[in-house]
Amino acid sequence: MIRVRRLEKHYTPGVPVLRDIDFSIEAGEVFGIVGHSGAGKSTLLRCLNGLETYQGGSIEVMGRQVKDIDGAELKALRRDMGMIFQHFSLMSRKNVFENVAFPLQIWRWPVDRVRARVMELLELVGLTEKKDARVQDLSGGQKQRVGIARALALNPKVLLCDEATSALDPDTTLTILDLLRDINRRLGITMVVVTHQMEVVRRLCGRVLMLNQGRNVALGDVEELFLAPPRGLENFLEQEFTVIPGGTNIRLAFPRDISRQAVITTMARELGVSFSIVGGRLDRYRDDVLGFLIINVAEAELEAVLGYLEKNKLYWKVLS
Amino acid sequence: MIGELFRATLETLYMVSLSTLFSLLMGFGLAVVLIMAAPGGLRPNPGLYRALDAGVNLLRSFPFMILMIALIPVTSFIVGMAIGSTAAIVPLTIAATPFMARLVEGSFLEVNPDVVEAARSFGASDAQIVFRVLLKEALPSIVLNTAVLAIALLGYSAMAGAIGGGGLGAFAYNYGYLRFRTDLMMYAVALLIAIVQAIQTCGNILHRKLR
Repeated sequence: MIRVRRLEKHYTPGVPVLRDIDFSIEAGEVFGIVGHSGAGKSTLLRCLNGLETYQGGSIEVMGRQVKDIDGAELKALRRDMGMIFQHFSLMSRKNVFENVAFPLQIWRWPVDRVRARVMELLELVGLTEKKDARVQDLSGGQKQRVGIARALALNPKVLLCDEATSALDPDTTLTILDLLRDINRRLGITMVVVTHQMEVVRRLCGRVLMLNQGRNVALGDVEELFLAPPRGLENFLEQEFTVIPGGTNIRLAFPRDISRQAVITTMARELGVSFSIVGGRLDRYRDDVLGFLIINVAEAELEAVLGYLEKNKLYWKVLS
Repeated sequence: MIGELFRATLETLYMVSLSTLFSLLMGFGLAVVLIMAAPGGLRPNPGLYRALDAGVNLLRSFPFMILMIALIPVTSFIVGMAIGSTAAIVPLTIAATPFMARLVEGSFLEVNPDVVEAARSFGASDAQIVFRVLLKEALPSIVLNTAVLAIALLGYSAMAGAIGGGGLGAFAYNYGYLRFRTDLMMYAVALLIAIVQAIQTCGNILHRKLR
């Protein structure tokens, strides 16, 4: 669906914004691009639909080289790639219906088909009653629903999401994420999700690319990255655990098949050791729940515990 | 005398309305080119932008009196005569066009650039972005700016008397200053005040309706 090879981008020669980026996105996938602000993730997203140019490497989207096309071909590519924005980017002088209808009018759909399509989309995002409302009178979540309806209007194959929930409160964020997940499942639409919110990555994305200062620092399956964070990315992936001094603190992560087993109590019983549980959390992922637990083990029992963890192939890490 | 005051009012309205219309159209066109050619615009063209930008500033630097006289040959060429109300419309339009271009450019710059980007993201052409996004979003602001333009042109048109353009300004000058008819001058000034109020009120009402 999307193939990016050795992508290089700069505004000023010698000051790269993106460097040596490689990844592929398969049809139907939800692919995350994460990183701190200024990491280049929104720029990378805009390279995919030609809103930004790039200086080196290649981007192939649905069989077309983005760099080589312009005019009508570029417009057709953009028609097939919807986009939603952090600040919704709705037109203030159009009402809800008119905003959703706008892409269809740009592509000269006949009036009766525009009407039918807009009503269908408003039903999908749950805004049928608000069709005549002014954009200013909507809440943030409702505005983003309008943005989503507008982005889906032309039946795109790909949906680009640029920090789509960053301006929303936590509850609204969850409802928008559920809506996007639902759309991905029902319409099979490929999604590229740029975000700095780990919540978004966990709930929505299957695979993720991490950027730092325009470079790829990690690429892979979301669950794996959270279970066994690559060195240097632990703090980035989750808030730091506060650990008690004395003994050894071990962070355990439970993937889906182990989550439901009583691993900890079994270990305590089999080894005959005691330890204290000093922290823990359950996180919901797309369709799974992953557990994190920190236990504090006395020095004398450390070897036995680590041996057990190793033998049972658990994800663990000694915290310093 | 009242008949002459009435005729002067009509001349003023004639000069101001037509020159407002023409400078609005030409100023809008110029503003579109400026905004598209500007750095970061839809079709950035630094050379064209700098030339137009400097040209606009140059034309706006001229005192209207001087511009009007300097433009006499151009006026004769366009309308076939150099004096009269119709002739005055030419320098009025030429003086007001760069002013209106700046005002409309300002209205365009107020449009949220995110909205333009969104339109590009679903494949809108440059023309569609100008007329269906920028113009649509900036319309209330352009309406207010047109009222500003019309009132400025009302002021300029008072000077058109110098090339026989007539109008209320010339009337007030001829009777009030040259013939010491303060009463007639007051009538002319009162009418000018009423016209300014009317233009601004129309602009405000339309702006509120469109917003």
